[in-house]
Amino acid sequence: MKKLISLAWKGFRRSSYFQMNLAIRILIILGFIYFGGIALFMGVASFYIIKKAMDVDDPLMIVNSFLIYWFLADLLIRFFMQQLPVMNIKPYLILPFRRRNIIRYLLTRTGVSFFNILPLLFFVPFSIVLLIEGYSIVSTLTWFLSMLCLVFSNNFINFLINKTNAYFYGILAFTVALVLMETYGVFKITEYADDVFSAFYEQPYVVILPLSLLYLTYKLVYNYIRKHFYVDGAISKKAENFSKRDFTWLDRFGKMGFFLKNDLKLITRNVRPRQVVLMSFLFLFYGLIFYTQDIYRDMQGFIAFASIFVTGGFLLSFGQYVPAWDSEYYKLMMSQNISYKKYLESKWSLMTTACFLSFILSIPYIYFGWEIFSMIAGGAAFNIGLNSFITLYGGALNRQPMKLNEKAKAFSNTQAFSPTQLIITIPKLVGPIILFYIPYKIFNYEAGIITLAASGIVGLLLKNQFLNFIEKTYQKGKYKTIAAFDEKQ
Amino acid sequence: MITIDNISKEYNTVEVLNIDHLEIPEGQSFGLVGNNGAGKTTLFSLFLDLIQPTKGKITSHGIVVSESEEWKPFTSAFIDESFLIGYLTAEEYFNFIGELRGRTKEQVDELLSGFKDFFHGEILGQKKYLRDMSKGNQKKVGIVGALIGDPKVIILDEPFANLDPTTQIRLKQLLKKITEERQATILVSSHDLMHVTEVCERIVVLESGKPVKDIKTSEATLKELEAYFAERSEQETESADVVEGSNDEQH
Repeated sequence: MKKLISLAWKGFRRSSYFQMNLAIRILIILGFIYFGGIALFMGVASFYIIKKAMDVDDPLMIVNSFLIYWFLADLLIRFFMQQLPVMNIKPYLILPFRRRNIIRYLLTRTGVSFFNILPLLFFVPFSIVLLIEGYSIVSTLTWFLSMLCLVFSNNFINFLINKTNAYFYGILAFTVALVLMETYGVFKITEYADDVFSAFYEQPYVVILPLSLLYLTYKLVYNYIRKHFYVDGAISKKAENFSKRDFTWLDRFGKMGFFLKNDLKLITRNVRPRQVVLMSFLFLFYGLIFYTQDIYRDMQGFIAFASIFVTGGFLLSFGQYVPAWDSEYYKLMMSQNISYKKYLESKWSLMTTACFLSFILSIPYIYFGWEIFSMIAGGAAFNIGLNSFITLYGGALNRQPMKLNEKAKAFSNTQAFSPTQLIITIPKLVGPIILFYIPYKIFNYEAGIITLAASGIVGLLLKNQFLNFIEKTYQKGKYKTIAAFDEKQ
Repeated sequence: MITIDNISKEYNTVEVLNIDHLEIPEGQSFGLVGNNGAGKTTLFSLFLDLIQPTKGKITSHGIVVSESEEWKPFTSAFIDESFLIGYLTAEEYFNFIGELRGRTKEQVDELLSGFKDFFHGEILGQKKYLRDMSKGNQKKVGIVGALIGDPKVIILDEPFANLDPTTQIRLKQLLKKITEERQATILVSSHDLMHVTEVCERIVVLESGKPVKDIKTSEATLKELEAYFAERSEQETESADVVEGSNDEQH
């Protein structure tokens, strides 16, 4: 066990994290401090805030009633973000380690994760506050212990749903059923959940439930790994289920359809792009946050900002990693019979097609009135005509290789992320707001929209010039990019 | 015809390749031999404009490769796995290359039907992505991929490594056939002296980035090469303090 830990430590010390440049490291640490700080602050303050704001005697009750959502959200975020332990077990299989020890070590290691530390940063101070405020010691401890068990149960449940479809669909169906029953008032889980979470405090012996849940999930994961503990098994990267979808129907769209087809395969058959595209789909609903609230109604700058996201979600999230998506086979793309310009143009077409599709999908926003929809349309024009080129240009500066079939890790993975990425984001988001806001202030709302839309059309007219310029930039950095993408991680 | 003029490549002022002049006539099968770090992959990468020459130039069929992209239509290569697209199946990969090279699906299928033996039933019709295939099978896919679209220049780095004995023999037959029919100029590197002497009409030995031998292959070539490397090995044991081929070949 000791040896394994020392090996892991070496692996950690020598990992890319410590070889990353300082700026990124600082960003990661800042991010960690930020979220950690929020959790700590909420842990200490939420008790008093709830007491004050909601005027209740027992804030713990309120917290309890929210916990069910919290744990579900936690599971969801874990599913998308948390990296499962991938361990190169091959060298250990033939060395004198006991399997039991390796698995135990592996499972313990999953415990040391940002996703488990963060909740602790909330629950520990919160429980201390409870004690200070005169809550019973035994009850508070059992409540805290229950939370601890649930957090780590989530940790293991995440492993199960990631590895086995049965668990994934089971839990998905279960959750959907709960939400449906909740909304149609058949069975209000939140009321009962409230009672259950309160019971951890009120009836200390109930703590046996979360404890057994933790034990059960641990055992399930343990058995799963034990059964698959071979080189081709569960914890080595597994060959993915083969998908028959090959998008041949796109062939009829000629050359462009051909590239689109390949990019669709890229997206559907690899973990990382799938993750990014899912996120970009969620951006479609970004407008709902802003359009539904009256405070933003008069803050046109915010409306413009939101509208850029509605149609630009894919462009902003997927597009910023062009050409890193092709980093694994970049040498092929650079030496095959495709000119740099054609290659770039195909990427541009993908992004603009996505923008256009998002725009069509955003038609229901008409519900919020023509004013908002015209803003979305203006934003779409800007995204297609200008943002697409800015994004593509930004890609020339992005030389971080990307592993396609690995999830992005929170705070330990900055693959294909660099400070230049941040800088290039500024014109993408601030640009349209300025384009809209200045004529809006000088003339009127329509003038703002027209300027925004016109900028996009001008961009489209200048397509060739833009692409030529971008191609030159890429050509200049070509050797550097190839070398950077070639670096083993 | 490919001409190398006064080309050199340095990494941090360490010279890893330096060739004054070398001409490869059209249709020749050209073998590159040398120890690790001798500069074989570096030279191939220069042919494909994947790295920038510190000085000098390579001209392929009248096109300076570092100045124009016009060499791409008639050049193909398989250097390493980064020439494969991991999330495609073998068929999809071949069709992808075919499409880039202006070949229809039917033309690609016809070409592939000629490689049934070479594939040994392990490549086509597999419900497997390339990333999940064995190293040897990946190599087969990469080599055949490099033959699609009638290229005039074919560059293969270590094509024999990782292949099973049967496939090695079949690959040799394949390369010989291409040479006999004068379809393309083939550039091959290998550590296996026997294979290269069998396949290539001409063999150049690189050492520390410099060509030290340029042999027209004959009966005696294998012996000559073996003697050369045996001598190298002795010299190195004698003067163990001489550090050889300092730079990583994979650069």
